[in-house]
Amino acid sequence: MENQLENVPSQKNSWLKSITNRIGLQQLIILIVLFLIYGFFAFMSPAFRTSNTLTSILDASYYVGFLALGVTFVIITGGIDLSIGTNMMCAAITGGVIYNRFGAPLWLALLAIIAMATAFGLLNGLLVAKLKLPAFIATLGTMMITRGLSSILSNVQTETFPLRDSGDGWYKSIFRTGNNFPTGVILLLVMGIIAAIVLNKTKIGRYIFAIGSNSEATRLSGVNIVRSEATAYVIAGFFAGLAAIAYAATYTTIMPGAGAGFEMDGIAAVVVGGTSLSGGVGSILGTMIGVFIMTVLKIGLPYLDLQPHYQIFITGFVVILAVYVDIYRNRKKAK
Amino acid sequence: MWSFVLGVSVLFGIIGCSNGDSASDTGNSGDGTVIEVVAKGFQHDFWKAVQSGAQQAADEHGVRMNFVGPKDETAIAEQLEMLNNSINKNPGAIALAALDTNAQLDAIQQAQSKGIPIIGFDSGVPDAPDGAVKATAATDNYKAGAIAAEHAYEAIKDRIAANDVSRIGIVSQEVNSLSISQRTGGFIDKMVELLEADSGVGQGKIAVTGHDKFRNDIQEKDAKVVIELRVPAEVTDAAGKTEAQALLEKSDIICVYGSNEYGAKSIINADDGLGGRIGITEDKVIAIGFDSGALQQDAIRNERFYGSVTQNPVKIGYEAVSLAVKAAKGEPASDVDTGVEWYNKDNIDSQEIQELLYQ
Repeated sequence: MENQLENVPSQKNSWLKSITNRIGLQQLIILIVLFLIYGFFAFMSPAFRTSNTLTSILDASYYVGFLALGVTFVIITGGIDLSIGTNMMCAAITGGVIYNRFGAPLWLALLAIIAMATAFGLLNGLLVAKLKLPAFIATLGTMMITRGLSSILSNVQTETFPLRDSGDGWYKSIFRTGNNFPTGVILLLVMGIIAAIVLNKTKIGRYIFAIGSNSEATRLSGVNIVRSEATAYVIAGFFAGLAAIAYAATYTTIMPGAGAGFEMDGIAAVVVGGTSLSGGVGSILGTMIGVFIMTVLKIGLPYLDLQPHYQIFITGFVVILAVYVDIYRNRKKAK
Repeated sequence: MWSFVLGVSVLFGIIGCSNGDSASDTGNSGDGTVIEVVAKGFQHDFWKAVQSGAQQAADEHGVRMNFVGPKDETAIAEQLEMLNNSINKNPGAIALAALDTNAQLDAIQQAQSKGIPIIGFDSGVPDAPDGAVKATAATDNYKAGAIAAEHAYEAIKDRIAANDVSRIGIVSQEVNSLSISQRTGGFIDKMVELLEADSGVGQGKIAVTGHDKFRNDIQEKDAKVVIELRVPAEVTDAAGKTEAQALLEKSDIICVYGSNEYGAKSIINADDGLGGRIGITEDKVIAIGFDSGALQQDAIRNERFYGSVTQNPVKIGYEAVSLAVKAAKGEPASDVDTGVEWYNKDNIDSQEIQELLYQ
């Protein structure tokens, strides 16, 4: 009899509980925030409601999305990677040099982009995991190295990737077809799912979480934390390579020495998504939602006919608000 | 300890080797004169063309030329460092394209007191203290903007007559530097002048909106023509594309103007995402650009862009160093307008125009 009475109120909340059990309360909150922001812009601007705008939002989300997916792994270990932005652009411009200057086939140039970005990820991994340099300093250093390298390798010249209607324009269709269908979202989702599987269902993923929670305890339990921590940075590098291809496909021309600042777009998306900068906590779903919140803001604010300084101000405000909500919730939980 | 020494030695070795192909200390040292050229940027192909012109002049006059520039046109502090370095080297003369004269005032005054003449180039050194800048070699950017407006007006005047309301959009990289502000301002002023003289429009019927800098008092609802100026929040591909897209999606838009290569590129990128709204036929939005670059040249050839205005970057660099050499010798030097050309599908592949363009 008592059991039946107790069951009644929890049945009412069980659908909410089942959702939060599956995706986490933080993720639910920011998902609602995303819909609210999107709805606000759609309400305020008729031009925002078109399918072209949606394709635009998706276009702008690819490179940030890949950067954010990769750096999620690093942040969960309690580290940071400031080089992902410049690494991305250095790899992109190198691909351009290989295609334009050396006349290599496009597929080879794209492979070279991934290889180069991953190699710098490996460098970061060695510096942080093996040589034990603080992640902030080490990746700040590789950020400057890749930034200078992009100018050196390109002889300080812009590299232009093949245009859509040239023979080699196929790489653009990976992200958006000639009919404006956003194929890139499929690639982003697939890579997101793979990243989620690696993070949540594999040994290496569990070790990455463990290192972020308590690296000493993890080390003492016999886990090779050097290899696991370095892997997180290699993953970030690999995803920076994907981001480079997405950027080239979307914007076509790559300028030397570019990329500084893009890492902040990626990191902000990850943090807004609920991954803690102190490590040990995080989710791919949260990162993806964070990416879309940042992108919808970036694309939507101009539709309100706001001056550019207000746009950046509001974006910063939203980031702080999102992080505050997360800290506040954690503090409440700790009590 | 020893690995540190080894590391540092290797580092200096690399620096020593790379000095061989850096941009500095080139040209034969005929009479030992060194001209320091401090540009507004270094990444951009435009500055590479300026550099080649400067090198040509240096070779012709038998002087050494050192060409430096900051990472981008917002790096005011970085350019100030470079300017200070140049002054400390006691060159024969300095050619400067100042990002912000006020920020560099102390350095300019120091150069003046050391007797180092300054030659302005590109956007020059606006509001410099008297006597500091001997001459300027630059594009008359205001006139260039007006030329763009004249061509745009020819293409759209019939549509303006036929429509109830027409919108002309401008994508401007920023409104701080003199060169871009003048190209934007020159376009707006000339367009307003032409529209006021147009019997179908007339005075008080043109609203200039968007960024605060050029806004006028006429309300959009009272206007027959709206000129809307958009400046992206940050100088990135994504932000430029977004602002251009917001313009192209307005229902009454008939013309868009990008006041530099970044503006033109943003319009092209935005148009890619909208399935081709710009073009030269009656039903398409007229697109006007500035400078060149691979994307813009392609857009001109494919009749997506109605036409663009190009500067003569090689001549800017050439005249900057030539004037600097004169100033270093104590000879009188006067301003040079390095000129612009209008190019479109018909003349883009002519030799005269191709010499001015860059990829």
